[in-house]
Amino acid sequence: MNNESVIKSRFEENGKVFETGAPVTGAVSIENAVAVGFGDGSIRFFWPDNDPLEVQAHSGAILSIASSNDGVITGGQDGRFLKISTNAEVEEIYNFGTRWVDNVAAYESMVLCSSGKNVYIWSDENDKPKILEHQSTIGGIAIDQNGRRIAVSCYGGVTLWRLEKNKWKSSKFAWKGSHGKVGFSPDGKYLVTTMQENELHAWRIRDKASFAMSGYPSKVKSFTWAGDNPYLVTAGAKEAICWPFDGKEGPKGRKPLCIASGGQQNATFVESLPGEKAVFAGFRNGMVLLSELSEHPNDVLIQNPTGSEVSNISISPDRSHILVGDSKGQILWSPLWEQ
Amino acid sequence: METNTSQVPVTVLTGFLGAGKTTLLNRILTEQHGRRYAVIVNEFGEQGIDNDLVVDADEEVFEMNNGCICCTVRGDLIRILGGLMKRADQLDAIIVETTGLADPAPVAQTFFVDQDVADRTKLDAIVTVADAVHLSTQLGEHHEAEEQIAFADVVLLNKIDLVDKSKLAGVKDRIRKINPYTKIIETNRCAAPLEEILGLNAFSLDRVLEVEPDFLDSDHDHEHDDDVTSVSFVSDTPLDLEKFEKWFGNLLQTHGQNILRSKGILDFKNEKDRYVFQGVHMLMDASPMGPWPEKSIRNSRVVFIGRKLETMNLKEGFESCKSD
Repeated sequence: MNNESVIKSRFEENGKVFETGAPVTGAVSIENAVAVGFGDGSIRFFWPDNDPLEVQAHSGAILSIASSNDGVITGGQDGRFLKISTNAEVEEIYNFGTRWVDNVAAYESMVLCSSGKNVYIWSDENDKPKILEHQSTIGGIAIDQNGRRIAVSCYGGVTLWRLEKNKWKSSKFAWKGSHGKVGFSPDGKYLVTTMQENELHAWRIRDKASFAMSGYPSKVKSFTWAGDNPYLVTAGAKEAICWPFDGKEGPKGRKPLCIASGGQQNATFVESLPGEKAVFAGFRNGMVLLSELSEHPNDVLIQNPTGSEVSNISISPDRSHILVGDSKGQILWSPLWEQ
Repeated sequence: METNTSQVPVTVLTGFLGAGKTTLLNRILTEQHGRRYAVIVNEFGEQGIDNDLVVDADEEVFEMNNGCICCTVRGDLIRILGGLMKRADQLDAIIVETTGLADPAPVAQTFFVDQDVADRTKLDAIVTVADAVHLSTQLGEHHEAEEQIAFADVVLLNKIDLVDKSKLAGVKDRIRKINPYTKIIETNRCAAPLEEILGLNAFSLDRVLEVEPDFLDSDHDHEHDDDVTSVSFVSDTPLDLEKFEKWFGNLLQTHGQNILRSKGILDFKNEKDRYVFQGVHMLMDASPMGPWPEKSIRNSRVVFIGRKLETMNLKEGFESCKSD
């Protein structure tokens, strides 16, 4: 950076900055806190009113984090699948040894994780997990809004598992290539994946009609849903690319909205502002912008460039605070509104 | 590839079952001398090494959707290298073990194709552990054994105490015929110093300038169609840049699947700089590497390692690139 004095944003002025020294690998809301997972295996809980609480959980990086009924669940490079309560109690759900626990997810009392090619499901106090097998190493897992369907992405597409009469039945959504992160649209009608190539893939679940969303200059590492339409908001380009998923055909043949255009570098993380038609976009140089979901959006600067890739943006459950984390371990924790 | 000090070097360790790879891995894990090495292995768990930097992986080769048929990559490596880069501690090196039957090309191609991998890590060298007793037989029986020699920057020729001098010389000749660029280290129990195996920077373009291959007489005895061989050419006449680009581009497009590795130093007419390239199948890395040193002879040298090289009219093609 040059010597020009950088004008701090209101969020940088009013917020606190923590230098943790470990890359931020994920974050999730739990009770009234944001729980952040780090590359040194620790978890930190950030509350609106208290100092953060640090819990040493894994050795090696935390690869995935989700919130369950009674704590945060994490998967790590130490092969452990853990549950951590907001008062720092750590419970080991399972230990996979030298195999990483790549993905975790939860719905009410059901918790699941993936390690290698298998998904392991624990529900209803059952000690032995139910195992769902797949043909290659799993890229991502997602549970739908009702907890009845699980989407699992790997090489060659997505396997959608449905719970019918207490049995998990699978159906395959095929598309050549390696699929990473997977998610359901908020109405449960679409599946979306990020791909090894610089594009996303989507299927309409009803008839398996599928389409690609491409044209990105880099890999798409993050997506979220925003607005009432809703829009699928994606990282991977110099702007936040927002695909309209309203109507019968979704974004097929339509142009996306391009917002948050002041970033200069490719976006690496996107998050919506719940209840508003607005999106946060974090960029490769550490800059974070808030932008409106509209043709002519106004942008608000949240964070100036830090020099490190933004790896997480989270909003506290009461919408009072924003957390920005980067790949070098800097955290910005700031009130979201004028006090 | 961009030089970046924060790129962690990755050594690929290949070799047939029983050649001594496990012995070498055990040494790397136990003789760390204050360095931090992560080791990506296949089904290593039962060896009982208690180390949080041992990562179990399944070798998953997949095709990229970029229209290039030989552009296969190792999906598990993209995932695991990405994961290791999330660690808070800095790794000094990463070692990737591949099974004896693996084709080394997808591993090497991963470093050309995936931007995140290329940003944070760099392919350091391909090290092949070979068994001096059995290599000759294995070369005759398995494609993969030839490929592992063809790709090797270093061949660790192990168990030399079990063969006599003439057999050892024969095995070395065989290796040289497949890959004149490779460095052969003779050992017993893989006892070579680790600094001769790790941190070699063999895939850096500068290294192409340093390693002089033994330019062999083309001796085509006992070869059948599927043998991996190498050919090399030298030209004292400067080449024409445009003609070379056209010929070489077309060559990789049509014969990339059979060209395992290619390397060269090129002298183009009216160009001050030396051009250096190296390729794996259809993927290639090339750039000018500064002016020719004052006292050195300016000439162009290329080496191809692959199958069916005799069908590619390589000599004629190379000759046709000479400037008028």
